Amino acid sequence: MESLYLLVPLSALLVLALLGLFGWALNAGQFDDLEREGQRILGADSPLDADQATSPPLSEE
Amino acid sequence: MADTAAATLRITGMHCAACADTLEAALRRVPGILAASVSAAGQAAEVRWDPARVGPEAIAQAVRAAGYDAAPDTSAAARRLRKREARVGLWRLFVAGLCAMQIMMLAEPVYLAGPGEIAPEYRRLLAWGQWTLSLPVLLFSAAPMFAGAWRSLKSRRIGMDVPVALGLAIAFLASTGVVFGPDAALLRREVYFDSLSMFVAFLLAGRYLEMTARHRAETALEQASSRLPARALRIAPDGQAAEVPIDALVAGDRLRVPLGETFPADGILCAGATAADESLLTGESRPATKAVGDAVIAGSINLGAPVEMIAERLGADTRAEAIAALMRAARTQRPALLAVADRWAGPFLWGILALSIGAFLAWQRIDADRALEAAIAVLIVTCPCALSLAAPTALLAAASRMGRGGLLVRDVNAIERLARVQTLFVDKTGTLTTGEPACARIRALAASVQGGAAAFAEKGASLAAWSSHPLAKAIHRRWNPDATVWCAIEETPGRGIAARDEHGDRWCLGSPEWLGWPASGGIEVVLARNGTPLLGFGFTETLREDAVRAIQRLHDDGVAVRLLSGDDPARVRRVAAALAIEDARGGLSPEDKLAALQQAQEARECVAMIGDGINDAPVLARADVAIAMGAGAALARSQADAILLSNRLGDVADARLLARRALRVVNQNLAWAVVYNATCVPLALSGHLPAWAAGLGMAASSLVVVLNSMRLAR
Repeated sequence: MESLYLLVPLSALLVLALLGLFGWALNAGQFDDLEREGQRILGADSPLDADQATSPPLSEE
Repeated sequence: MADTAAATLRITGMHCAACADTLEAALRRVPGILAASVSAAGQAAEVRWDPARVGPEAIAQAVRAAGYDAAPDTSAAARRLRKREARVGLWRLFVAGLCAMQIMMLAEPVYLAGPGEIAPEYRRLLAWGQWTLSLPVLLFSAAPMFAGAWRSLKSRRIGMDVPVALGLAIAFLASTGVVFGPDAALLRREVYFDSLSMFVAFLLAGRYLEMTARHRAETALEQASSRLPARALRIAPDGQAAEVPIDALVAGDRLRVPLGETFPADGILCAGATAADESLLTGESRPATKAVGDAVIAGSINLGAPVEMIAERLGADTRAEAIAALMRAARTQRPALLAVADRWAGPFLWGILALSIGAFLAWQRIDADRALEAAIAVLIVTCPCALSLAAPTALLAAASRMGRGGLLVRDVNAIERLARVQTLFVDKTGTLTTGEPACARIRALAASVQGGAAAFAEKGASLAAWSSHPLAKAIHRRWNPDATVWCAIEETPGRGIAARDEHGDRWCLGSPEWLGWPASGGIEVVLARNGTPLLGFGFTETLREDAVRAIQRLHDDGVAVRLLSGDDPARVRRVAAALAIEDARGGLSPEDKLAALQQAQEARECVAMIGDGINDAPVLARADVAIAMGAGAALARSQADAILLSNRLGDVADARLLARRALRVVNQNLAWAVVYNATCVPLALSGHLPAWAAGLGMAASSLVVVLNSMRLAR
């Protein structure tokens, strides 16, 4: 039971750390537009990433 | 009179109608400010000041000192403010939500364990953990509620924030006392950190959803382009046309207006002839014929042919801008209806304060040691959770349902007003009708045509196919063109079209005056062969598909529908008859429309308006509920509480039914809050309410309200 003296403060610290992480993501603008990022792939003029193939490889049959 | 400057400021941080009064009073106290009027619904302040005595910085500072933030009303700054508001809102919600969940984890063992199962030192440890985690909730997440309560107290008005802040503060302080107090108190009394943090998270979630709904509507409005063109074609004295920005124009400039463009200024036509669509400015449903020397108005659309005009009045002096100024003035005069929850806040607060003081005094005589405890228990169990969630949750659920139906709600409080509406004013052109004419009847004008009218109508349709005039298009839509091969086609803009067929006969299709037929009997287009009028075409306006049914449903729902139009009274009467609207007035200017609305409001009626044109904007700004058509002018949409994106009037009838249901749900929620308090308060007064039951009751009362409201969204 003594371990609670470690676990309860630890859980409180963990929550505070999570809040900090979320705050960083929020201020970096990651939540400003939740729909746009998902739809970006559908935009015609979005450039391909370097590691993306330009066409799917042909299956060998 | 001294020089004055005026500007509209965008205000953030306003939560309720009472905030507007606080800010107004704060602004009026600044020396040099001559007039200030704040609209809570528009989140804007209109300020007039003497530039010699005070500067814009001092005004912005006064707004900030009152606890709000201000920015000039241009969309870039508004966007920045919106982004910041969204980020802070989400941040507060996340902090409250995450901490509430964690506090629940730490509170749960005490709820589940039997008496004496958890040693006092571990109970203290768990309570200490809850206290730590509730600090960010109270100090950061709940800050807007405390700030709101402080503002209401300063302005001596009781908003919903006051009982909320009081409940939170008392629950937190009492629980803190237990955490750091002696062991005996810890075992007997429980802590309320879980209830209070969950309550804050619920409230913030509601406010966040309300904010995103408002932001979405505002973004949609800003994206809509203005009807005035940003550039115009100016013709230099040497005859060369050059594109110039519209602000660079001066009165007297000669301008070319291409087909399909809007006229950039008020002025006189100096070359060419055309038809102009002025429906958004005047409500006139037929294109107006314009010849050299006729006046044209900025914002109307050139339908007939490319023309040239001399600009006379520009920018702020144009008719469109004059209507916009009238609209801005009307906006600030809009009567404020107190929201149902705010009406309850005052009595509720005084009620619980009286009860808790009563409890304190009563226990002082019975058992003085328990007096303070009983008073605090009353304040905690009468937590205004259910009361403050009652209205926003129901209205938000209704708004999301209306959004799926095609009515985008910008101000959720408008739903409450919609449920109370007694009179609905509707515009005709573009609202009840689609704005496109329809060919309704044909009439033989010569004896030789009798019996074969349809064949002539088909010939007319075949000729009409060569013209882009709206009436020609209507003929072409109604009749199947026959196989005539036309040659030597020539169109005279604003008059008609003429051509020869394969037999060499010359046919003309155009206005009665042009073809020498008396303009009467509803004949608006005549078909003539070799100069002899043969067939007349009559038109009606195309009613929107579900207009008849929608008006009938609104009428059955107890709404008096009244028609206000700027169009020709005879046409207005015809449309009114088709829709069974008894009170219809035509030929109204925007000022007349505003006066009609004002008269209804002075008779203490709750009035809604549906419109689409620039000429409807002042009325929309003043109406208790303003609904703009999605296909309407940007200026009209900017004034609307709700935008009818679907352009189906049936959605308004649906929305009205839903609004009344929402109001019923709000009242159910309020009744539940009263019942809950009426049961718990006597128990707390007598000291018989166990702490766990109080906590459970508080959580359950919020949950019941939220679930009851969610029924509306289904």
